[in-house]
Amino acid sequence: MSVAVRTPPAAPPREVARANGFSQGVDRLAHNLGRLPLHIIIAIFVAVWLVPTIGLIINSFRSVHDMGVSGWWTTIFPPHGFTLDSFRQVLQIEGVASSILNSLLITIPATVIQLTVATMAAYAFAWMNFRGRNLIFIVIVGLMVVPIQMILIPVLKLFAILGIAGTIPAVWIAHTGIGLPFEVFLLRNYIGGLPKEIFESAEVDGAGHAARFLQLVLPMTLPAIASLTIFVFLGVWNDLLVALSFLGVSPTNKPFTVVITTLVTSFGGGWQFLTAAAVMQMALPLTVFILLQRFMVRGITSGAVKG
Amino acid sequence: MDLFAGRRFLRSLTVGLTTAVLLVSCGGSSSTSSGSSTDLTVWVAWGGQELKAFKDVVKPFESKNGITVHITTTRSGDLQEADNVAAGTSLPDVGVVPSQDKVKDWATKGIMKPMETYMSGDALNAYLKNTYESLTKPLNGDTDTKIFVVGGKHYSAWVKTQLKGMFWYNPKVFTQGSNPPKTLDDLLAIQPPAGTKLFCQGLSSGDASGWPAVDMIDNIVMKQSGETVYNNWIDGKQKWSSPEIKSAYQTLGKLLSNNNTYGGSNNVLSTAFSEAQRPLFTTPPGCMFLEQATFEENFIIQDNASAKAGTDYDAFAHPSINSQYDGNVNWFGDSMVVFNDTPAVRKFMEYVTSADAQQIWVNDGGTLAALKTVTNYPDPILKKAAQAIAGAKHLLVTAGDFMPADMQHAFRASMLDYVKDPSKLDSILAHLDQVQSAAYSS
Amino acid sequence: MEKVITAVGATVLIPVFVLGYIVLGEKLIERLSGRLQGFVRPYFWTAPAIIFAGAIMVVPTILTAINSFQSRDLSKWVGFANYKYFFTFPDTLISLRNSIYWLIFFTFFAVGFGLLLAILLDRVRYENWAKIAIFLPYPISAVAASIIWKFMFDYKPAGAVQTGTLNAVLGTVGIQPIAWLVNSTTNNPALIFIGIWTQVGFAMVIISASLKGISPELLEAARIDGANEFAVIRTIVTPLLWPTVTVVGTTMIIYALKQFDIVYVLTSGAYDTSTIANQMFLQLTSSGHLGRAAAVGVVLFLAIVPLLIINVRRFQQQEEMR
Repeated sequence: MSVAVRTPPAAPPREVARANGFSQGVDRLAHNLGRLPLHIIIAIFVAVWLVPTIGLIINSFRSVHDMGVSGWWTTIFPPHGFTLDSFRQVLQIEGVASSILNSLLITIPATVIQLTVATMAAYAFAWMNFRGRNLIFIVIVGLMVVPIQMILIPVLKLFAILGIAGTIPAVWIAHTGIGLPFEVFLLRNYIGGLPKEIFESAEVDGAGHAARFLQLVLPMTLPAIASLTIFVFLGVWNDLLVALSFLGVSPTNKPFTVVITTLVTSFGGGWQFLTAAAVMQMALPLTVFILLQRFMVRGITSGAVKG
Repeated sequence: MDLFAGRRFLRSLTVGLTTAVLLVSCGGSSSTSSGSSTDLTVWVAWGGQELKAFKDVVKPFESKNGITVHITTTRSGDLQEADNVAAGTSLPDVGVVPSQDKVKDWATKGIMKPMETYMSGDALNAYLKNTYESLTKPLNGDTDTKIFVVGGKHYSAWVKTQLKGMFWYNPKVFTQGSNPPKTLDDLLAIQPPAGTKLFCQGLSSGDASGWPAVDMIDNIVMKQSGETVYNNWIDGKQKWSSPEIKSAYQTLGKLLSNNNTYGGSNNVLSTAFSEAQRPLFTTPPGCMFLEQATFEENFIIQDNASAKAGTDYDAFAHPSINSQYDGNVNWFGDSMVVFNDTPAVRKFMEYVTSADAQQIWVNDGGTLAALKTVTNYPDPILKKAAQAIAGAKHLLVTAGDFMPADMQHAFRASMLDYVKDPSKLDSILAHLDQVQSAAYSS
Repeated sequence: MEKVITAVGATVLIPVFVLGYIVLGEKLIERLSGRLQGFVRPYFWTAPAIIFAGAIMVVPTILTAINSFQSRDLSKWVGFANYKYFFTFPDTLISLRNSIYWLIFFTFFAVGFGLLLAILLDRVRYENWAKIAIFLPYPISAVAASIIWKFMFDYKPAGAVQTGTLNAVLGTVGIQPIAWLVNSTTNNPALIFIGIWTQVGFAMVIISASLKGISPELLEAARIDGANEFAVIRTIVTPLLWPTVTVVGTTMIIYALKQFDIVYVLTSGAYDTSTIANQMFLQLTSSGHLGRAAAVGVVLFLAIVPLLIINVRRFQQQEEMR
């Protein structure tokens, strides 16, 4: 089975239309019905999917007072009343600045650890024959659907026994265990799809498994690892439940998502700061998305649509 | 093809590995107890204005004694402390009070240190003499976990207090402030100007939503049915469906009815508690009164930094419901617990329980001292509130904070359900009875 | 500072560590006899993953199943009491009902909109731009998405200026403002819609990729036979997309059952909006009843078991085709 990474649908639309007979038929449909309803439906969807985010971003640049007395859309006409106050204030709130750092300290190592361990295991599952291989792999496939809630209590206890409860390394370990099944599954399919001949000739040359893995598998799997990295990174960066469960009561190690929710729920109120906090939290995912859109689409389609 | 055969490569790899293991294993523990005389760690639950006030209190202490106080804000310090105790990791030198179910255990195991061991006899006697009696003296016997007294020893040092159930108003709208309504019925009989409602309230507060109404009903129960019913209710010995509690809900229903509140029930439920005061000060006003504790002042000043107590905003204490129980006053207090007895901690605790420290707290506004001897309040409202506490026959803790966790949660949720649909009162109370019978037994 | 050193250390040194593990381990294994090599090597390579997955996923899952028959602090056996609680207590029953709402409505609309958008966007020239717009909410965290929608759903009493986008729109056509997140008829749909809003992009991208893979000749043949475009979609495109749709549907069902963040941020489960996952978190934290929390987790897991079986079956079929 080949889980070839599909090329993203990123070719210029013109060519797509010409290459795809389906789209040629569409033109006929369009002429029959008139394309207006089609455009209107799409426009409605695009508006509903874009407007909320735009509204939040605009509000984050307004004063607390303005937000309380008028909607964000009123800024279209002068006086706009834009200000950076919310951002300044949110950074001054105890713990916010350090939580952004915490988020990075959690996310980067957690991503690196998972992918390293997953790639190794995937290679073994793809190119080595051993007793129990299928059974272990089926368990791994099964683990992909186990809800995080199912493991919280024992893992909390495990961390307490190890003496790492409430620390950042504990969260790396938790994220690694939770993320591994999907990553091993995906990478094994990818690595298993690499041409057999390469491995055979490497074996003839006398290359050991270490060399085969480091010099053949890793470079050839890089595109898949790259796409996967984006998803793992964003998944950990955006995570709330794992962090809330393992770091929710830690005074110093909370990541940004947890601190944002405590801004909403805390005794002191202050959800007016949330606009800026949310914009700061989503700045990284949106930047990643805009810059690495192709990799993301490729990652999704290679993971879920299998040949 | 094997590039990794070289000896040097292997050696450098081994060095790298060892460093990795060392680094990773060192990253473990985060909080430290110094045991030193120049540093101490303190966990507090305060943020925003309250944290700023605490820092103001700490500053002169640090410069005078050459001690550095490391402050950490944590919203759920009691849970973190319980985790650390269970895991055997280090606790802060000074922390927040533990949850009720841990008090006796931690006291007898010596996890918390009593004031009797870390304070000198003179300082302790002065503290006990000058602090509001209800905060230091158990009602019966020598143990009362609600004030953290176990076996006659005091485990929590009270540093400030709040009076609950004050009615805040705009003196430009309600001009009878010098002669406030005597009874709740008098209050309810006030006719607001056209377009203005009698009350404002905001119950939204994340996963603690509903607590402002819990505070309101606490006041009603203790002033309507007395302290015995009130304490039994906290201890799970008073059914929710009993006539006393049902009548309290019905009274609350008048204060928070759809017709009596600004924007009606939907608005009461949708509004954040910290923004509930705003319609008091709009033109035309949205409402006349807001019931909230002394800290409400902080929110009013946050909205309008130039607002002056007495002229721009004012408040009166909770009116009487049954004159027999006028002496029952609802308060809550902030206190500190010592986990490590060090020279620096001794100095610090003596300082925060002193009148000098509490005066700084009081001067920053929005709070009352725990010492009766602090009487110099920055504004007339706080002075009135301090008098109300001083004149109380029974200072009663907030019921919502001292019930088991399941009960607390169901209690707050019942407030939201009741405000949303008062006609469901009987089924709401039956559900609370069901939670009560499970929550206190397990 | 210590944390930074630890994190940088881990980021740099863990790959080095793994590299060392591989190289040194292989050195040792290569000294073994041929047969022993074949036996040891696979476990050597998979050991780190098996240890992590075993310690964090497999063993805890089993322990949780055991805990679900124990008391609050796991000190006593209580039989099925925690399950009885789950299936008789009004609060947990409401969360069960809500999770079923999520399961049905979220999955249906997330997949349905994804399919619709994939088919519609295939017919316009600005396809890529529209896709970016629809996909945009996907990388945003549920926390940030919830805050975005808090402003959409904001409520002010009738007569006051509406600052929430939806109520302002309603106001322009003379409809009274709605307290979206408080009102029992609107709050669950509102929360579910936020979930749909974040996930449709994902569904659309996958279905669209599969759509592009349909052979143009097949469609052309049908059109030459005189089928109109709707008939082509109904009889050819939809059946061919069906396998992809089920894959996407499975992913969406899992998302629906695990749903926690949106409800936690916006209502914390108040006004009958709690889901199973929220209920479990509540039991775990504020109630501190570990036995009940475990039972809730098991119920959630059992709900997912059919998907697990489907997942494993699909995997086995693929293996046979390989």
